[in-house]
Amino acid sequence: MSTVRELFLSSVKNFPDRTAIVEDNKRVSYRELGSMVDSFSSFLISKGINKGDTVAILLPNSIEFVIAFFSIASLGAVSVPVNTAFKKEEIAFYINHCSANLVITQEKLKPIAMEAVSDKNSSLLVVKGANPEWVFTTAENISLPEISIEPNDEAIYLYSTGSTGKPKRVSRTHLNLVALADNHTETAGWTEEDKILFAVPISHTYGFGNFISSIKIGGLIVVLDVFNRNEVLDILEEEFITVFPAVPVMLDVLAKTYIAEPKDLSSLKLVISAGAPLSERIFHSFFEKYGIYPRQLYGSSETGVISINLGDDIENTFNSVGRHVRNVEVKILGEDGREAGVDEVGEITVKSPSMTRGYFGLPEETKKVFRDGYYFTGDLGRIDPEGFIYIVGRKKFFINISGNKVDPSEVENFLIRHPKVKEAVVLGITDSDGYERVKAVLVVDKGVSKKEILESCKDEIAEFKIPRIIEFRDELPRSPTGKVLREELK
Amino acid sequence: MNIEKRVKKVLIKNALKDIDSKELHLDSPLIEYGVGLDSVATLELVVALEEEFQIRIDESEITPETFESIKSISSHISQRI
Repeated sequence: MSTVRELFLSSVKNFPDRTAIVEDNKRVSYRELGSMVDSFSSFLISKGINKGDTVAILLPNSIEFVIAFFSIASLGAVSVPVNTAFKKEEIAFYINHCSANLVITQEKLKPIAMEAVSDKNSSLLVVKGANPEWVFTTAENISLPEISIEPNDEAIYLYSTGSTGKPKRVSRTHLNLVALADNHTETAGWTEEDKILFAVPISHTYGFGNFISSIKIGGLIVVLDVFNRNEVLDILEEEFITVFPAVPVMLDVLAKTYIAEPKDLSSLKLVISAGAPLSERIFHSFFEKYGIYPRQLYGSSETGVISINLGDDIENTFNSVGRHVRNVEVKILGEDGREAGVDEVGEITVKSPSMTRGYFGLPEETKKVFRDGYYFTGDLGRIDPEGFIYIVGRKKFFINISGNKVDPSEVENFLIRHPKVKEAVVLGITDSDGYERVKAVLVVDKGVSKKEILESCKDEIAEFKIPRIIEFRDELPRSPTGKVLREELK
Repeated sequence: MNIEKRVKKVLIKNALKDIDSKELHLDSPLIEYGVGLDSVATLELVVALEEEFQIRIDESEITPETFESIKSISSHISQRI
């Protein structure tokens, strides 16, 4: 098995009558899913989509997202999942940057998508909502033309947030994705009996890695378009969910959610926490409420899943992201480039069959972080004698909001466009609950209010990028050379 | 402590950590302090209110009108307890 199409067809063939996806009251079996994918693939061909074309998927977690992804992959075209939390200019950036031939979206997002594609050579296709332009069917006897898809053909473009002002495009091949699914599921021991709830977005690398792994093993996936804690708790119980990938803030919210009657979550065997560090407080409070410890997973857009903590002694290793998954190598390198010893802190570097070859159009940046077959994560960490990896800091400059990475310079560039903002510095601060928050320090014209600044952000940048804290200053502290002293602004 | 004072306490502790409590009045529009702009932050506030008042608040109840001010939140909660 070396292509996404083969991975998908294997589950359709082996588990035709098992439920593949559940969304609200809709349940789709693998047989039905196979038929819907072939039918939609055929429609995409009629829309002029061919091997090598790029198709953006601007959809929330949904049956339509799943069908769109596997249909695009079946044609040898490249999917570009776009976060539905993004606003017009952000969406336009992704569509433009990947030169999307087509944008598949939902009715609710059509106005914003139309604006985003208005001056581009992309067409729009609405597949979800009250008046879709294509209705997914389970038509029989669809025969797709022979399309030769090679393992090293590109299958998906993901975007990695850095400190360069714009997200960096990461290409992952069919073989990369198949390897990711193989290594993750074999390490975690998933089978077709597993039922996985997706409240994290599958458009994001973390959700996507777990999603493709779930399909690979013929598991049942339940998709939620937004995180609704009461609905999550109901689904965990009613669908006998076995695996729940989450981010720490979700676990925190669930642990604090008032429930009148205790929930029976005895089916749940793996609660995954990733995207941001899991605090001791959340680790314990989630366990106290639901009787299962969350376990940390580590991954990146560049590599896919790197490690997961499946250790027996979880109470004492809760702050570890675990051992590397199968076929993935992790080395800690010191400043001098030599491999660090046990428990010695250095930069975490990764070699994985699921990792990308570099950043599109950024040879210098690529050269910096992809060296000697390894990806230099920018995370600082150590490995203990049992092989457990601990992340202790990071070299990269970004703000982590519940797993969403925010590039401060991108927010600064946006804020400075406000006519009354003269200077803007954006930084991450950690609050008393251990969460990172976006803080903006602004030098503004007299009379401007925080409300005015916040309202200017509201429909223009994704909500997780909007500063939670705004501070006005008469001037910014600077070094003798004119550099802004960011530490003094925290 | 009355409901409004308890709501204000929860707000200051969970959502408005950088402001002086004296500047926050019962009618102050919370949107001016960023409350309601970020769904995750709003959710954190809701669970804190649930914890304080031992009630279940459904996502459907989280509307801009309900979260307009301390007064509107308090009025919503008083109907529930």
